[in-house]
Amino acid sequence: MKKIISMLLVCVMVLGLFAMGASAESKDTIVVMAPPVTGGYLEKLETWKADFEAEHPNLTIEIIGTSWDEHNGKLSTMAQAGEAPDIAEISSGALGTFVEMGVAIDIAKYMDADRLADYDEGALKYMSLEGTTYGLPLYLTIQSIGANKTMMEELGIDVKKIQQEGWTYEEFVDVIKKGTTDKCYGFVFANAGVTASDMLYMFGAGAGLSNTFTPELKYAFTSENMLTLLNSVEEMTKSGYMPNFGVEAGQRMVMCQTGNAMIFGKAMPLFENNFRKNNAALEANDGTAVENSMKMDYAFLPVPTMDGCQESCYGTVDGLVALRNNKTTDEHLKNVLLFMDYICSGDRIASCMNELYLEPVCQTGRDALVLPEGRDADNLATAGRCIAMVQAPPEGVTAEMSATAKKLMDEQIIPKFQALLAGEITAQDMYDHIVEAAHDAFGAENCVSGKI
Amino acid sequence: MNGTKEKQRRVCSRLRLTNDDLWGYVFIAAAMVIFCMFTLYPVISAIYTSFLKYKPFGSQYIGLKNYADTLKFSKFNLFYKAAYNTLLYTVVVVPLSLLLSFAIAVMILPFQKKVQSVFKAMYYLPGIASGVALSVVWLWLYDSSPDGIFNRLLGFFGVPAQNWLSSTKTSMLSLMIMALLSSHGVRVITYIAALLGIDNSYFEAAELDGATFFQKVHFIVWPLVKPTTLFLLITGVIGSFQVFMNAYIMTGGGPDNSTTMIGLLIYRNAFERGEYGLACAQAILLTIAIALMSLFQFKAMGVDVEY
Repeated sequence: MKKIISMLLVCVMVLGLFAMGASAESKDTIVVMAPPVTGGYLEKLETWKADFEAEHPNLTIEIIGTSWDEHNGKLSTMAQAGEAPDIAEISSGALGTFVEMGVAIDIAKYMDADRLADYDEGALKYMSLEGTTYGLPLYLTIQSIGANKTMMEELGIDVKKIQQEGWTYEEFVDVIKKGTTDKCYGFVFANAGVTASDMLYMFGAGAGLSNTFTPELKYAFTSENMLTLLNSVEEMTKSGYMPNFGVEAGQRMVMCQTGNAMIFGKAMPLFENNFRKNNAALEANDGTAVENSMKMDYAFLPVPTMDGCQESCYGTVDGLVALRNNKTTDEHLKNVLLFMDYICSGDRIASCMNELYLEPVCQTGRDALVLPEGRDADNLATAGRCIAMVQAPPEGVTAEMSATAKKLMDEQIIPKFQALLAGEITAQDMYDHIVEAAHDAFGAENCVSGKI
Repeated sequence: MNGTKEKQRRVCSRLRLTNDDLWGYVFIAAAMVIFCMFTLYPVISAIYTSFLKYKPFGSQYIGLKNYADTLKFSKFNLFYKAAYNTLLYTVVVVPLSLLLSFAIAVMILPFQKKVQSVFKAMYYLPGIASGVALSVVWLWLYDSSPDGIFNRLLGFFGVPAQNWLSSTKTSMLSLMIMALLSSHGVRVITYIAALLGIDNSYFEAAELDGATFFQKVHFIVWPLVKPTTLFLLITGVIGSFQVFMNAYIMTGGGPDNSTTMIGLLIYRNAFERGEYGLACAQAILLTIAIALMSLFQFKAMGVDVEY
C-alpha cells in the first residue's frame, strides 16, 4: 500500500511538471502586457477591458500587468519563446529588436485605414521601420530640463523668455553659474549608470543630433556636432556648476526641491504635478513632503542650442505593438487590432495624457481631451513648443541598421560617455573612439563626416 | 545441452529486474525527469541554438558564425573585455573570500557552542536576504556624494570623496569589496564543520612540542582542511565566473565597460538585443572555460586530497 501511495505521489509530482493551464474556450482571448504607463494605467485597463468585453461578447481580454523594471526582460523572453502577448507596450527604440526577431506584425493589414489615419503621421513613423507600421503610438514624450522657477526669478533670470524663445549653450552656462553657491549646484543631471545616455540624447537634440541617422541614412553620431556636444559636456562637468559625482535618477528632483540644485535633468512637463503636490504637502505640514524641501514653482525649460544649431527637443514615442505568437491567426489579429486601437484612442488615451501632462497623438484623443484646471500656462506652452520641435526618425532605416546603432550605443558610446562624465577621458578621445567604432560597424562611407 | 540452458537461465535472471529494482527506478524517475527537463535539455538546446541565427519563428542555421563573432579579435568586441573583468574579479575575490572565511571560522571555533551558533547565524544572514535588497543597501553605502556613508568614513581620515561606482578606477574595486564583505555564511559554516573534524590529539602533540598558534594553523589546520578548501575554491570559482547580479544592479557594467562581466554580456545579448544564438555560444564558451578551470584546480590541488 505504501509503495502504491508513493508511486501515486511520484506520478503527481512528475505530471505536475507537465500540467498546463489550458482550457477549451470558444471565445477569442487577447493578451495585453503593459507596465504602469501612468500611475493609474493598469486600473484603467481593467475598466476598458470590461467596457470592451461588454461591447464585444465574443472576445475576452487578459491583462498582464508588469513593473517598469521587469517589463522589457519579460517581454523579450516571452517573445523569444514564441509566446509573446498579442499586444505589448514598447518604446519605439526597441522596435527594431522585435522586427529582427520576426515577431512584429504589420498592423496596416489588419486595421481599417480610416482608423489608422486617426493617428499623427509623425508619431506613427516612430512605430514604423522600412515603411511598415508595427504599432500604434500611445504618446510622444519629451525629455528636457526643469528648474526651480522661484529661485531663477529671484536671481533676475527671465524664465518666461527662455521658455518662449529658447537659449544658447553660452546663456545656459551663464545661468547655471549664477545659480551656483556653496550649497547649491546651478545644474544637476542624473548621470549614474545607464541614465547617462539621457544627457547624451537630450543635449544632443540641441547640438543638431535629433536622430541617429540623417535623412540620407548616414550615421549621425560621427559628425562634428557630436564633438561640439561632448566638448560642452566636458566643460560643464569640469565647471563646478554641476556635481562631479554620479547622481542617481531619484536624487535629481529631490536636489532641486531641497534647494541643492537650481536646474535639473532629465525633466518632463508632468513634474509640475510633483512640485505642486509637494507645495501642498508643505502647506498642510502633514509629513508627506520631501524631507528638507522648500516651497517653489516648477519651470519646464527647453534644452540650449549649441554652435548655432536649430532649436530642437529630444522626444520618443511609446506605443503598443502587435506581436506574433504560437496561436496567431489572421482572424485573431483583426480582433487584436480592434482592442489595440480602442485603448490607444478616444477618451481612454485622453485621460492618460492628462495624467502625463502630454497631448494625445491621435485626433480622437485630442477631441476628447479636457485639460484640468490649474496647469501653469507657461509650462503648457513650452511643452507644446517642444513637442512641435521633436524630429521624427527618417524613413528607410532598416531593422538591421537600428539594431547595429543600438549595439554601438549600448556597448561603445554610453560606456565612454560615463567615463567622460567621470572626467577620465577627454571629449576628443571619446569622439575619436565613436568615429572608429562607427566606421567599423557601418563603414566610413555610411557615417557623417563634418557638420550636419 | 543442459549447460547451455543453465547459462541462458543465468543470463535471463541477470537481466530480469526484481520488484525492488523496479521500485528503485520509479523513485529516481522524478529526479531524473526534473534533471532532464531543467538541466540536460536546456544544455543540449543551448548547444543547438548556438549554431543558429535564432528567431522564434524560423531560425536559420549559420554554423560556427556565433562562435566566430564571439571570438573575433577586435577592440570593439566586448567578449574579451568581459572575460578579463570576470577573471580579474575571480582571481581577487575567490582566494580572499576563502582566506577571510577561514580566518573567521578559526576565530569562531574557540567559543562555546551557543556563541558559535550566534556568529554562524550572523554570517549566514546575508545569504538568506534578497540579493537585490542587499544591492540597494550597497548602492546607498556607495553614494558618490560627499554625504555618502563610505565617503563620510573616508572624510574622517582626510581622504577625498570617491566616485565609487561611476569611476573606472573604483568601480571594480567597489564590486570586489561588496563581494568580500557580504557572502561568507556558507563558507564559514563549511570550514567550522571541517575544523571540528580535526582530531584533538594533533593539537595536544603540537602543544607538547611548543608550537605557536600560527604554527598550528599552518602545519595542522590548513593541510587537514584542504579538501574543504578545494571544494570551496572550485564552487567559488564557478560562482564567480557566473557573477551577474552585482554588476547588473550596481553598475550596469559601466563605466567604460569596466565592470561588464561575461554573465552580464550574455544576459544583454539574449534579453536586451534578442541575439539568442550569440548568447548561447558565449554561454557554451563560458561553460568550457569553467570546466577547464575546475579540471586544472583538481589536477593542481587535488593530488594529495582524499575523499
